[in-house]
Amino acid sequence: MRVAFPHMGNAYIPLRALVEHVGVEAVVPERPNRATLELGAKHAPEFVCLPFKITLGDCMNALEKGADTMAMVCGMWACRFGNYGHVQHLILRDMGYEFESLLIGREDPRAVWEKVKRAVGGGAFRRLLGAAAVFRAKAAAVEEIESKARFARPREERRGDTDRIMERYLTRVDEADTIRRVREIRRELREEFSALPLRDDDDVLRVRIVGELYVLLEPSLNFDLVRRLGAVHGVEAQPILSTYRWLLSPLWLDPFLHVSSSRARRVSRAYLPYVLGGEEHMTITGALDAPRQGFDGVIHAYPLTCMPENICRTVLPHISVTRDVPILGLCFDEHTSTVGTNTRLEAFLDMLRSRRGRGRNAKELEAEGVLRA
Amino acid sequence: MRSLRIRRVRKGMSLKHAQGSKAAMRVGVPRALMFYRYYPFLKMLLEGFGCEVVASPPTNLRIMGMGTDLCVDDICVAVKALFGHVRHLEGEVDAVLVPRLVSVEKKDYDTFTCPKLIAAPDMVRFSFPHLPPPLEFVVDVKKAPFWWGCLRLGRRLGVSLRGIARSYAAATREQRRFEDLQREGLLPEDALKRMENGNDGPPPAYASAERDVTVAVVGHPYLLGDPLVSKRLIHWLDSSGARVLASTMLSRRDLEREARKLPDLSWSYEWELLAAASHFMEADGVDGVIYLTSFGCGPDSLVTEMVRREVPNPHGRALLDLVLDEHSAESGVRTRAEAFVDLLRHRKRARSREVEKR
Repeated sequence: MRVAFPHMGNAYIPLRALVEHVGVEAVVPERPNRATLELGAKHAPEFVCLPFKITLGDCMNALEKGADTMAMVCGMWACRFGNYGHVQHLILRDMGYEFESLLIGREDPRAVWEKVKRAVGGGAFRRLLGAAAVFRAKAAAVEEIESKARFARPREERRGDTDRIMERYLTRVDEADTIRRVREIRRELREEFSALPLRDDDDVLRVRIVGELYVLLEPSLNFDLVRRLGAVHGVEAQPILSTYRWLLSPLWLDPFLHVSSSRARRVSRAYLPYVLGGEEHMTITGALDAPRQGFDGVIHAYPLTCMPENICRTVLPHISVTRDVPILGLCFDEHTSTVGTNTRLEAFLDMLRSRRGRGRNAKELEAEGVLRA
Repeated sequence: MRSLRIRRVRKGMSLKHAQGSKAAMRVGVPRALMFYRYYPFLKMLLEGFGCEVVASPPTNLRIMGMGTDLCVDDICVAVKALFGHVRHLEGEVDAVLVPRLVSVEKKDYDTFTCPKLIAAPDMVRFSFPHLPPPLEFVVDVKKAPFWWGCLRLGRRLGVSLRGIARSYAAATREQRRFEDLQREGLLPEDALKRMENGNDGPPPAYASAERDVTVAVVGHPYLLGDPLVSKRLIHWLDSSGARVLASTMLSRRDLEREARKLPDLSWSYEWELLAAASHFMEADGVDGVIYLTSFGCGPDSLVTEMVRREVPNPHGRALLDLVLDEHSAESGVRTRAEAFVDLLRHRKRARSREVEKR
């Protein structure tokens, strides 16, 4: 059994650990890029959302690399994501690929477990527990690397330092084979980041990124939005969702995640009282909380025709006005170009900068007693 | 007086006091989305509650244009039409009713309608700040029975329990009549016309069984029933001499019969389309199937693939995917409808010649 799963940001690191510690070989295709997207878009339905297209291309890459079992998370939701696995496997089979499907969430859980047990042999349950522990440790390590890098990147003295450290540590976490090793790596990581020379001016713009999960987390789809904002524009970008959150919240491994997402549901109920199946509650809550959490603006990133995010788009202008927070909508599909996105980002950031300058000037002037008169 | 009434609705107070005036409350029902499925029911119910029901006129270019301007750009054409209709009603009515359909059937797995139907009242609420929020009419069969939504709506309008029960019964009868008319082979639009005019005229030409080819059109009632959105597809099929069947003409039992051939699907309405496609692929006397979708329809983008790849097609019937949006032109739809009917005619002739040779 050679299991493959589609890419999503750095999720492959903990997922590979999970599969391999259970005792099954994992096939990890290359990181997706524009070619993967075009490959997927060629075979996918015309106006399906973007993640479908890129993960379809990813599945084809994995099958070419010799995978014989395709794993995918499915579910019975109102969002299209729940049916991805089913339809993608229909398309792949019609294209002539032969493989076994592992549709987690759609098939009977017992049937999935039987398949795993057949592949692993004895002691499957004990191994699964061990694998889950490694999985959690690696997910937390990836999360720490990403969040440290997000903070350091716009403030680094020498451009590129943060990315170099990040790349090195991601590879090390991927290669680590025990929890103890992961823990050591995290300790070294903290030392390395605290030794990194940072500029200590407090002038860095902070931007909250909300929107659809996959577009938020997959750098090949959003033109590496977080890294670009940090390294090129010197802006600290904080996505509201993370790989860690997506991987661990359905597994009940971190109670904090549950508290925060149930709060998000509660807060967004005034805007969207019913569950739509996507990340609409995080989008709404992220935009509502942005001014209080010290963000200068919000970027809303979503794929073309995404249902929950399009519904959010009718609500966000209202939030933007009532909460006085600028919101930029960025729509992504396979025709979106780097230049168009970049121009809009630059204009938005210029606007944020002048807004902040105006706010501070007003405060300074007030302190001098000019404005009061 | 009216502005006062509106203010009270906006505050979320009971409308009981607002109804103190003699004039009945004017409730607008936009002619879009679920209008083509539930209008007779809603009309009877609201009239029973003592409201005056104002339906917006059939979609025209002006309404469609306003909807396209007001709505977010990559959403399906039916939602854009909804926005146009609400805009048209704005100012004419005291409140609009946009039903919120969360789930419409109980199955052994979770079911939903489309997210856009679940959030339609919210989208209207935030896009029309000058309109009082739409009246809440929630259908969430998974959590509460269908009549619960009617009861909540009635109480909010200050109607007595007895009045609610009476209107509910009358509305259910009306809805059954509407569905029976559709079972007889009328499209939603014609069935609505017949219910309003009450005449029992001759059946429309497209339903005639004497025609040489039969085309089955599978699509949402709000696409099939709206001639401006569907670019008069039914008319063009009719004028090229085909008999037209539609997914709206099938009864629940016809659909349930297909269930075991089909995969589980959480969207109830799309499951119906899937079952209808499967029914028409096997039913006697059907020559070809048209699957009608709108650009940007979330569920349909996947369900089209399922219809193409998973629904059994034992007779090798022709299948045409037709995608509509607010830019489609009538001539484009007409050309394709005529070409499809021609193709079916040729195929039929070729097949009968083959049988003769044998």
